[in-house]
Amino acid sequence: MPGFDFSNYNRNAALCARGMSLPKATSTGTTIVGCIFDGGVVIAADTRATSGPIVADKNCEKLHYISPNIWCAGAGTAADTEFTTALISSQLELHSLSTGRKPRVVTCMTMLKQHLFRYQGHIGAYLVVAGVDPTGTHLFTVHAHGSTDKLPYVTMGSGSLAAMSVFESSWKSNLTQEEAIDLCSKAILAGIFNDLGSGSNVDVAIITPEKTTLKRNHITPNQRVPKLGNYVFRRGTTAVLNEKVIRKEELGNFVSIHEMTEEADKMEVDT
Amino acid sequence: MTSIGTGYDLANSIYSPDGRNFQVEYAVKAVENGGTSIGIRCKDGVVLAVEKVIASKLLKPNANKRIATVDRHLGIVYSGMIPDGRHLVDRARDEARNHRDTFKSPIPTRDLANRMGGYMQAYTLYQSVRPFGVTAILGGFDSDLEQPVDGEVGSGPSCGGGGKVEGQKHGGPWLAMIEPSGTYWGYYGAATGKGRQAAKAELEKLNLAAGEITIKEAVKEAARIIYIAHDDNKDKDFELEMSWISGSDGPTKGKHVEVPSDLLAEAEGLARKAIEKDLEGDDEEEKDKMEE
Amino acid sequence: MEFGKSGFLNEDGIHVDMDRLKNGEVNLGTSIMAITFKDGVILGADSRTTTGAYIANRVTDKLTRVHDTIWCCRSGSAADTQAVADIVQYQLGLFSMQSGKPPTTQTAASIFQEICYANKDRLSAGLIIAGWDERHGGQVYSIPLGGSLHKQPYAIGGSGSTYIYGFCDANWREGMEEADAVGFVKEALKEAIKWDGSSGGVIRMVVLTAKGADRHLYLPDTDYTVRHN
Repeated sequence: MPGFDFSNYNRNAALCARGMSLPKATSTGTTIVGCIFDGGVVIAADTRATSGPIVADKNCEKLHYISPNIWCAGAGTAADTEFTTALISSQLELHSLSTGRKPRVVTCMTMLKQHLFRYQGHIGAYLVVAGVDPTGTHLFTVHAHGSTDKLPYVTMGSGSLAAMSVFESSWKSNLTQEEAIDLCSKAILAGIFNDLGSGSNVDVAIITPEKTTLKRNHITPNQRVPKLGNYVFRRGTTAVLNEKVIRKEELGNFVSIHEMTEEADKMEVDT
Repeated sequence: MTSIGTGYDLANSIYSPDGRNFQVEYAVKAVENGGTSIGIRCKDGVVLAVEKVIASKLLKPNANKRIATVDRHLGIVYSGMIPDGRHLVDRARDEARNHRDTFKSPIPTRDLANRMGGYMQAYTLYQSVRPFGVTAILGGFDSDLEQPVDGEVGSGPSCGGGGKVEGQKHGGPWLAMIEPSGTYWGYYGAATGKGRQAAKAELEKLNLAAGEITIKEAVKEAARIIYIAHDDNKDKDFELEMSWISGSDGPTKGKHVEVPSDLLAEAEGLARKAIEKDLEGDDEEEKDKMEE
Repeated sequence: MEFGKSGFLNEDGIHVDMDRLKNGEVNLGTSIMAITFKDGVILGADSRTTTGAYIANRVTDKLTRVHDTIWCCRSGSAADTQAVADIVQYQLGLFSMQSGKPPTTQTAASIFQEICYANKDRLSAGLIIAGWDERHGGQVYSIPLGGSLHKQPYAIGGSGSTYIYGFCDANWREGMEEADAVGFVKEALKEAIKWDGSSGGVIRMVVLTAKGADRHLYLPDTDYTVRHN
């Protein structure tokens, strides 16, 4: 039969309806946060990458570069956050070159939301966009379906509830830079310790009009300590139950030995 | 024109050293040979009229229309190459439709003039095309009423609409003329084609800017002006075609329609009488054809 | 391809998930309204945005500008309504530049409707468009899920609106003074927030008159009595 065959579609739909869901892409259980302070913005993330129940990477980077003054924290499908931010970073660089202006955070946010909306949530990127541009300091969240929010402090990812509880209890207006870094770190730690999907270390990025500071592994609360045990066995650990020595002369007692003759050894050559 | 043979007139995309586009100027020549078209904008509407020279006695009277309706409230008449004019009308209808599709409201006459000007200008730029051999007169009446949106369910509430700014006039008549170069201007009275000079002289006498003349009077004036403009071309028979557009409270109820036959006949009768009177008076001034 | 878990699928493969929101989509479980009054229109909304049971944003701004004195209230999917509002804002900007005059509310409403109707099977957007212009004064249009367009003296929408149909019917009057109209909107939204679990947070309003757009903000801390900013 010519044309496309859609029979698998019906089969898959029927299977889904019966409770057998399709395989899912690996997604990162994550805690990411952002917080505006007087004179800039801080974003932070944990460093655990998971694939199902396995910790795939104990110290991955979830803070993505967009432009020198704009950075993104990503949650959701690891590959999607990586490639989406890279794509927008590239487009924003070209845009900035053609306009001769510094890239703006709203531009970045708009490009991200339009890209993600076009893919109707199939690109699983959940992002915190932060930056400082000539129009001021900005902090946004972008959801995979393309919706955006603008708030003074934000959390995302599976650990967002734990992190938000820290913000909701400790946040105040007019934070200093140190207070903001501290608050964001505490929020990430809440995610690391209370969310199964989050773990390992705290990465922080501080963006001010003057410069951006990336504090990779700002806090490492899960340092590996030296192993208590040792798997190398000491000499003599294995007990010797008995011992027997066989000498060469006595070998005939155990196997049959044939002596080789001189003739048999010679090779015959036609003359 | 001294430029013939210099090569600067061979294509659109070539300027002459003194900055002229001869192809466009030749297109204007084509217009100047066409039957006279006029438009009159008065206080309560717009009148369009055209002189149709009868090329053959076998042509059926009233069958060959030259004034086209572009949208309910919009009409176009043109002088010059008729097929070019027809194409232009098609495009105008597309533009009017496009405006309704995107903005769900009838296109304001001025906006249509702008779009058509842009379209005609594009035909002065490329090697592969020639400019339009027509000058079009665009007349319309932008609704003075509040209109529902296309696709709105029901007629809406009887109340609401608070905070209206009172005493402001919205919509109204509009007349524009677009030339082969794509240039367009808004007019009180516009004329183009063979008899434009005589027609313009007559239009100026009407003092249209004062806004005293009504649409019904304008119909009669338009007929008279076409007859006067035809005077130089007496040896050929012609047919007069006229259309008008009034506001919602006027005779056409905001629509662009042909002038009814009885009014047309009355206007033509008056026009003939006026011409005869004119002839009795004096016909000494032999109008020398000037080039613009 | 993703399929909803609750969706019943017949053997014909035609009957699929009817849940309007995609899995994990951000939802505006909402109370929104817009009314006409003596000098123009007032738009009002709560500020709750949810993803499932979690409040993703408790101070959301659901009143979105599409032109100087034409605004809309958004309900349904946050992504969809933001995308639609962005498109309309662009179209109206283009319109005003091309024609040299501000667009009318019905132009805005009809552009909204065109998008909502053409994409009715892909969008979950319930919108109320309200605006003021010199020629028509204040106008309120409602565009519910299917993409139809209704001109109304006042409109309410979102999950919380079900609780205030009676209140609005009993208390709305034609040609109210601004203070009364603001009071009416506030009382209606207070009721909606009280009874609807998906609505909450602050009350936001925008008053659109010949003087332009005026924003109001009321906080639950003071039982929505004190106006901020």
